[in-house]
Amino acid sequence: MRQNHPMVAGDRARSTVSPKPVDRRKFLKAAGVALSLPSLEAMRPSLAKSVDDKQVPRRMLAICNNLGLLPSQFFPQGGGRDYQLSPYLELLKEHRNDFTVFSGVWHPDVDGGHPADNCFLTAAPHPARGGFSNTISLDQFVAERIGHLTRFPSLNLGVNPMQGQRSLSWTSSGVLIPCEESPSSLVRQLFVAGTEQEEKRQVRRLQLGQSILDVVADQAKDLQRTLGASDRNRLDQYFGSVRDLESRMAASKAWEEKPRPKVTATEPIDPASSREYMEKVRMMYDLARLAFETDSTRSIALLLDSVNSPAINIESMELSDGYHNLSHHGKSEAKIAQLKAIDQSHMRLLDHLYTELKGVQEEGVPLLDRTMVLYGSNLGDADRHVTTNLPILFAGGGFRHGQHLEFDRVHNYPLPNLFVSMLQRFGIEVDRFASSTGTMRGLEMA
Amino acid sequence: MARLVNNPFVAISVAWGAIFVIGNDPSFAFGQETNFSQAFLKQHCVACHNGTQAEANLDLTSSTVQSLSIENVDRWSLIHDRIARKEMPPSDSEQPGSAERASFLERLSNELCRVEQKEIATKGRASSRRMNRYEYENTLRTLLQLPDLHVREFLPEDGEAFGFNKVGEALDVSHVQMARYLQGADYALRSAMAPVANRPDASPVRYHAWDQRSLFAGDYPKIRLTFPILGDKIFEHRKWRECTAEEKEPDSRAQQAVAIFCSTFEPTEIRFSSFRAPVAGRYRLRFSGYSIWASPDCTKLFEGRRSEPISIYSDRAPIVYRKLGSFDFEPKPTVQELDVWLGVGETIRPDAARLVRSRPPDHKNNLATEEGLPGVAFQWMEVEGPLYDQWPPSSHQVLFDNLPIVDKPINRGTEKPNPRGDRRRNRVVPTETEVISSDPARDIPRLMKRFIEQVYRSPVDSEDIKRFSDLVQRTLDQGETFTESMLAGYTAVLCSPQFLYFQANPGPLSNHALADRLAYFLWNGPPDRELRSLADAKSLQRPDILRMQAERMLVDPRSQQFIDSFLDYWLDLRRINATSPDVSLYPDYDLDDLLVESMLSETREFFRELIAKDLSVRCLVQADFAMINERLAEHYGIEGVQGVGIRKVALPSGSIRGGLLTQASSLKVTSNGTTTSPVKRGIWVMDRIMGQKPPPPPEAVPAVEPDTRGATTIREQLAKHRAIESCNACHKKFDPAGFALESFDVLGGFRAQYRSLGAGEEAKGIGHNGNRYRYRFAQPVDTAGELPDGRTFEDIRVFKSLLEKELEPIARNLVQQLSVYGTGTNIRFSDRQQIEAILATTRSNDYGVRSLILAIIQSEFFLNQ
Repeated sequence: MRQNHPMVAGDRARSTVSPKPVDRRKFLKAAGVALSLPSLEAMRPSLAKSVDDKQVPRRMLAICNNLGLLPSQFFPQGGGRDYQLSPYLELLKEHRNDFTVFSGVWHPDVDGGHPADNCFLTAAPHPARGGFSNTISLDQFVAERIGHLTRFPSLNLGVNPMQGQRSLSWTSSGVLIPCEESPSSLVRQLFVAGTEQEEKRQVRRLQLGQSILDVVADQAKDLQRTLGASDRNRLDQYFGSVRDLESRMAASKAWEEKPRPKVTATEPIDPASSREYMEKVRMMYDLARLAFETDSTRSIALLLDSVNSPAINIESMELSDGYHNLSHHGKSEAKIAQLKAIDQSHMRLLDHLYTELKGVQEEGVPLLDRTMVLYGSNLGDADRHVTTNLPILFAGGGFRHGQHLEFDRVHNYPLPNLFVSMLQRFGIEVDRFASSTGTMRGLEMA
Repeated sequence: MARLVNNPFVAISVAWGAIFVIGNDPSFAFGQETNFSQAFLKQHCVACHNGTQAEANLDLTSSTVQSLSIENVDRWSLIHDRIARKEMPPSDSEQPGSAERASFLERLSNELCRVEQKEIATKGRASSRRMNRYEYENTLRTLLQLPDLHVREFLPEDGEAFGFNKVGEALDVSHVQMARYLQGADYALRSAMAPVANRPDASPVRYHAWDQRSLFAGDYPKIRLTFPILGDKIFEHRKWRECTAEEKEPDSRAQQAVAIFCSTFEPTEIRFSSFRAPVAGRYRLRFSGYSIWASPDCTKLFEGRRSEPISIYSDRAPIVYRKLGSFDFEPKPTVQELDVWLGVGETIRPDAARLVRSRPPDHKNNLATEEGLPGVAFQWMEVEGPLYDQWPPSSHQVLFDNLPIVDKPINRGTEKPNPRGDRRRNRVVPTETEVISSDPARDIPRLMKRFIEQVYRSPVDSEDIKRFSDLVQRTLDQGETFTESMLAGYTAVLCSPQFLYFQANPGPLSNHALADRLAYFLWNGPPDRELRSLADAKSLQRPDILRMQAERMLVDPRSQQFIDSFLDYWLDLRRINATSPDVSLYPDYDLDDLLVESMLSETREFFRELIAKDLSVRCLVQADFAMINERLAEHYGIEGVQGVGIRKVALPSGSIRGGLLTQASSLKVTSNGTTTSPVKRGIWVMDRIMGQKPPPPPEAVPAVEPDTRGATTIREQLAKHRAIESCNACHKKFDPAGFALESFDVLGGFRAQYRSLGAGEEAKGIGHNGNRYRYRFAQPVDTAGELPDGRTFEDIRVFKSLLEKELEPIARNLVQQLSVYGTGTNIRFSDRQQIEAILATTRSNDYGVRSLILAIIQSEFFLNQ
């Protein structure tokens, strides 16, 4: 319970500091509306500008709701630009020309039911199999390449995540990167600079962290000489992660010397209960937008761990069951009605997110046009754990939207192709990601 | 199911004739016509297993399969096993003669062992690995002398392989893991320091119920209210107010209590909130109270009609509860004592767990009758502590020996003194401590040497002492305090590979590596002084000493760490809370924490009993006793068990309980909270208990999910599936166990009928959550089944009696599970001979569980890397 933890910002120990009691909704309103920004350009970190002068900043928010959406309510009728909005898409109709809806897509061979959420951004096959090892996730792939442009190379967020078991974000060696689930901790990391004294202290701590890492790396080197080949591999991994952390500390130190963006927002109070799922989703959406608006990061992954959520609070009705239990509706009409109400709340929040991103201008361009928002699920039908025919919505980012890209419902089309299109939109020179076969057919840059 | 596990070393006795012998042919290559083994394959296998259309994707003519090597031993092991089991060649093909078959298997087996042993000789059987998070926590707890340190949560969840978190290949390290090590070590080290310079006053302070604001909260439905008691009078609910001078008199205090008729759940969250732990440490808590009975309107008070279980939790904002212990309040007032560890700022939350958890919409009390209702009365809580064995605390002395300590005031800003209650105790002490050294140049290497010698598990290299001392000195030179500089050095030690990794070279383990392996097996923590000195004296490898040590370790309380973590993985107990029972179908189980906590204790205590009494592995399937408390006894329909403590209870003859299969924990982790699946449970039993891992399910076949409308049973749905021969080939092996277990609902309660929310007869009653039952009784449960060998059973009793005859496979499986856990790698083909030897030495006592463990630690694979 002691604080004063030296190395890494946003750590667990700090969350014991009680925040000032501020009404959560008030905070969100403040954060959303009364952002005291003279102009975004003035506030954008100079590092980003100097390194990346000519490039238009591109961003990505990838959201996975691991219980998906009721297929009958989500998928629209008819393909192309003249498709008919489905009941769920009706709730997004204001933004019809800002998103593309997909049907008949999947991550090839990513089966195994629930654990497939861990592969939503990696597309590594057969996650439920023994001996499975995950691969790098899209957000980390992006962070590795353009992460140095912002204070945070990436943000990995979660709502009710089953910590240690579930994450969208994975390193290239298949190691899970834990989700940040506390809005207040996120705000502190993003915007709350300490006093000058504290900042110096933080720099000193990072230096100290680096010195510690130097010493343990030395010992690792010495040990390597005495080890056999396979054990050397294990120690190589240790050594690599030490170096990786050192370089991150060096980068953090550089950022520590630059001012953080100023926002009028006060620290939010974290919803106390996992029942306040929707409130958490809303807060994470707002904070993701705020992080982009302030160019604090360009790569965000957000796992909505519905599987790990209890009977949640939604405005329209009282739920009888945990979210996961509801998803196994067993065709019970009462359960389906409740799921529908939950899904509709999701759609409304997404609508809110699109609207907000559109409402912010950066260099005269709506933020949405530079922000790719991927929303979807690893399950095509949670009731039956089916990992084909995934519900996928893709908005913003400077693509020609307003269409339904319809693929074969029996022999699905690879979703990793969309990831390749997204990476290319970032200006990253790649032509494949995981099991992709090319770029997303039918999706053109604007 | 007559032969549940194949065994290549059993049952195939052969008279060797003049068979052509391969000699010491290094390859098992196909294609040499003169080679007997190849002739066997060619004659019996290749016709189907060749080319791109090969059966089961096994192309014996392809270059990757042809030549037996370390890359394809698993494949060849499978070929071996399927031929040994006479599954291959298929029954409708020409069969090899038994001598021919045996001879082929013998050669293949020798070759498999040879290939593996060659690999093991150069690389070791297990790779070196880092500690997992359980081991890391236990290690820090022991080394820093902080038995209640909670540091596991700092580290990311570990990867698992072969069912456990013990295998090097799955224990990765990322930059995140590294950052967490830094955080975890720093947290642990600061927790070890004396929280204040001078020993805090630990004299007992009493917190009276009438002084606790949260015991008087109101504006709720009546069922959720609390009521003040004075003597034998119960008053109407009132708001909290400061006690009058008269009420503070001892006479009045002795009469005061607060009555509650529901358990602790939002919004009725009672706490002794005028106490908050001023510093982290050990405390002794005493609770005075009793059980009561009241008239239906709660205006008249009577003596309790039974005892009431009370669970005690610590409570830290925002919502972090930790169970500290439990006891029973009796009809007469008693004082119950718990020794606990509390984090700084934690308060105490009691829960009368049996009483109703009142949820909307009905707000009924399931325990109320026309005569009245049960409740409990809390009188006071007394806190003694923080308690220390010495001053400075021993944990502090590990770091700083006896150097002087001073308080270092720090400004935390937001803590405000609580205007009520005891002023000395009511807030977090806003200090940290600083250790003073008058001669850092001397103290740094001295303390560092002392620390490293305690922390590293093998002899210390002077290079290391210098390395870490230099870091401390450099940090000091950069302007950090002596304390911070030392902590930085210690953090580095606790994050160093020498500490985090178990290292051993291929071949026999050194004495110190053996001490490590033994300790992390039977304690899941570091070796103690005795083991280390035996290792220093190089005598631990002596079989008699090794055995004595293992026996000593198994009776030591630290063996609980082994039991807990082994069962967490072997039986999935770590997932006990992964799902919760469906509210509509199981209102009787809703929010029943006592039940879930009890079932976890049951299985742990059960396994402890098997070890302690060296009971036969038969007990895993069929036992004549159970380790239960009143809640579980009620759940199992067993009479005459009162109170919250787990104790050994003899089961009536013919009981369906007894053994792991019918323990609530096993039945809970194998269900999804809403429905049970015979497939899932069957696979679990065959895999975890019988050691028969099923092949992975075919891809892209939707799971068969039970239907809760009451229209069709899971059995009817499965019947369609099983009618397809390719599905049935596997399903017939594992479905039977699942069918037998259909007698048990999602929390392991017995059922004769399924519950449904659609069709069926209405159930009547009120749940633990205060809501009327809304489920119905649907179809009867059919638990009959047929084993693959044709033997049939009608229910779980008969099924268990068939299963318990398979004693050897059950024992073999447990040996394998324990061996994977104990040695950190999979069981290989070439280990089989030793596994059989272990079984042979324990057969005479029906495979006693302790005997198995003691035999494992003497086996060659345990003694070698």
